[in-house]
Amino acid sequence: MAPTACFDCKEARAVIIRPKNRHKLCRACFIKVFETEVHETIIGTNLFFPGERVAIGASGGKDSTVLAAVLKTLNERYNYGLDLCLLSIDEGIRGYRDDSLETVKRNAVQYEMPLDILGYSELYGWTMDQVVEQVGKKGNCTYCGVFRRQALDRGAARLGIKHVVTGHNADDVAETVMMNLLRGDLPRLSRGTSIVTSSDASDIKRSKPLKYAYEKEIVLYAHHRQLDYFTTECIYSPEAFRGSARTLIKDLEKIRPSSILDIVKSGEDMAALVPVEVRGAGKATQAGAEEESAGGCGSQNGRTSGGEMAAMEKQLTENDAAESLETEIKLPSGARVKPNRGPTGKAVKTQTIKHCERCNYISSQRICKACMLLDGLNRNRPKTAIEVGVGMEDEESSSTLMRQMERAQLSAT
Amino acid sequence: MYSPEPRFNSRHFTAVIMPAKELNKQCMECKDAEFELTVRKRQLCRFRFIAHKVHSRMSVYRAFGLDGPKTQLLLPVSFGVSSSVLLHILNADRQHRLDNGRPLGYDFKILVIEPSTVVATGIPFDQNYEALEKNFPMHTISRIPFHSIFDHVPEMEEIMQEYAGSKFIDDSTRSNEERLSAFRASISTPTSRTDVDTVLLTRLVVEFAKKSGCESVIWGDSDSRLAAKALAGVAKGRGASLTWQVSDGMSPWGVRFEYPLRDLYKAELLQYESVCAELSDIVIPDQPPSDNILTKNLSIDELMLRYVQNQGAKYPGVMANVARTANKLNPSTSDNAPTCALCAGLVGNVKGNSGVTVANQVEDNHSSQFCYGCMRSRPEELC
Repeated sequence: MAPTACFDCKEARAVIIRPKNRHKLCRACFIKVFETEVHETIIGTNLFFPGERVAIGASGGKDSTVLAAVLKTLNERYNYGLDLCLLSIDEGIRGYRDDSLETVKRNAVQYEMPLDILGYSELYGWTMDQVVEQVGKKGNCTYCGVFRRQALDRGAARLGIKHVVTGHNADDVAETVMMNLLRGDLPRLSRGTSIVTSSDASDIKRSKPLKYAYEKEIVLYAHHRQLDYFTTECIYSPEAFRGSARTLIKDLEKIRPSSILDIVKSGEDMAALVPVEVRGAGKATQAGAEEESAGGCGSQNGRTSGGEMAAMEKQLTENDAAESLETEIKLPSGARVKPNRGPTGKAVKTQTIKHCERCNYISSQRICKACMLLDGLNRNRPKTAIEVGVGMEDEESSSTLMRQMERAQLSAT
Repeated sequence: MYSPEPRFNSRHFTAVIMPAKELNKQCMECKDAEFELTVRKRQLCRFRFIAHKVHSRMSVYRAFGLDGPKTQLLLPVSFGVSSSVLLHILNADRQHRLDNGRPLGYDFKILVIEPSTVVATGIPFDQNYEALEKNFPMHTISRIPFHSIFDHVPEMEEIMQEYAGSKFIDDSTRSNEERLSAFRASISTPTSRTDVDTVLLTRLVVEFAKKSGCESVIWGDSDSRLAAKALAGVAKGRGASLTWQVSDGMSPWGVRFEYPLRDLYKAELLQYESVCAELSDIVIPDQPPSDNILTKNLSIDELMLRYVQNQGAKYPGVMANVARTANKLNPSTSDNAPTCALCAGLVGNVKGNSGVTVANQVEDNHSSQFCYGCMRSRPEELC
């Protein structure tokens, strides 16, 4: 079969079929179009200002590595005038994070960017390995997500930087939209798609410049620019998953490649349609922390497990039952009352922004979520120290862990 | 197949049923069947429970306009289970009220868009239509073919030409039926075809409603169907239109859309239909979903329908909650914003959405006329 010419330059041989629209492109045109689209996103949303100091949340994975490479290229090409640096969080997960941190260190040299690494152990006195030892695999992603959110903010604050960019891509955003729709979570539906997720609660701005970039294209870009990145997912992630939304999106992509972008567009529109009184609820640091836990580490962390879905089903059934026992009190006027009382009609609690009494981190509660979680961990610390026996669950999880690690080693070689 | 345990059978109702103490176990409304559950202190059979759910949704119209002229509604009947059951419930309610000398605030007309002109299944539906006329003689029933869209929307040929671009050349010497099938054939993927069909069918129903003086269209979508519609709408970039495609609300054409079956699962409607003798000759049973089809060859609407069916078997409440969530969105307030020539959806972004996804579409004169979702289904679009 005769080689196909590139769709854009019409000269070079096409070697890539763009996952986004199936255009056949040559290597150079693909790299150019990918970078141009990120540039257009940045310009279209006024993401940066000249002279801004920006920290790139770097995990060593494909997304953040591509983000660092693209930002460096665009910064030079279009004279953004940004002062870029890398900020890494060491969760303390042996076999995963220590390897990926090596990648980040090499990236820092390759991109000539300063690197700052902040450890969970340093910040919280607990590594994720220790947390998992304590709480088991179930629910550990909550800890990691909450801790990471604060860690990135603290790291940025330490560097005197007010803007952190993360590698969330279009697939992540689309997944979040579907997830929030399935979960019926309107407040998050109103926030999840915005490119900048700064809140009144924190003076550190978060943004996702790769919001419109397909995961597959990020991989292709990394491959064709021969970027140095780490491929293994977090070893603690398999238990938690966004199974339903993720499978659905993969199927949709097969049917109509543009659908990932189309979901993002729908999500953006729906976010603007969420009633204002619902939208504001929980717009504070903690909500942000929960948000980040969803896909925040670039793997499958924090994603809803089947158990959560079943729990929600149970809750809804109970609500239904309760509703049938309610006595309806009708308004005297002919006003239309929606039988499904959403949060719309309820009085909205306004949140006041305070500082955590323990760590002084900004929080809507007296004690911030990270400190609450730490409390729980510290309270139980001695108890685990004297536990010797290994329960069924531990045994299972450790064997899964071993398998995961074996796989990690295999794929690393 | 989607068959969640119907809610009225589930254990949470057992707490309120005390058959041991009851001497008379009749349903308080039909006085016929045994009651199975108590709703607001009224002991009802399953049949009445479903009707009760619909009546509570229709309560605005039931009471509305008691003194003045009745509100005219349009009920499109597809001969599927859901719309047929809705017709049966509304008709029974009307009859019951008439028998008791109580006025009803609304009246409804029935519209049948000939199924054979929509899907070429080869299944004759004349007998079903006759059964419909026979069983519901007190209602005005209109029967129109899909291609009558050219008569009801005179500007449609121009819109289609503009929309399809070079892929479709309209030949006005041909019959409307041939012209419509030529237009539909110009759209290459199942997703786009189903999407555009839905847009055209909705448009036809709305125009018919307007011409017949109907203020609202009452759609027979079940809860499960609405969940699938919401998910498919989002996946096709039509998130902004959910406020009338899934929620009860004003459509862009000034005709209200209502979904009175939104609290009922498809399984419950099937159960209702199974005990309804009048409906047995009317309903065309659903074709079971084919297993021999690759995911990539399904339409997005079909994929979502299957997803809701599969997940609904395990988590019916979660699926039902999707439609409820969509129903909580506020309608768009951009009054003077340009609307799509084809589907009347918003062109561009909803007010307050500063996203730049739209910029991703080709900038030409089409994108100023048609909305994001319709642009995706255009015949020239590669995917």
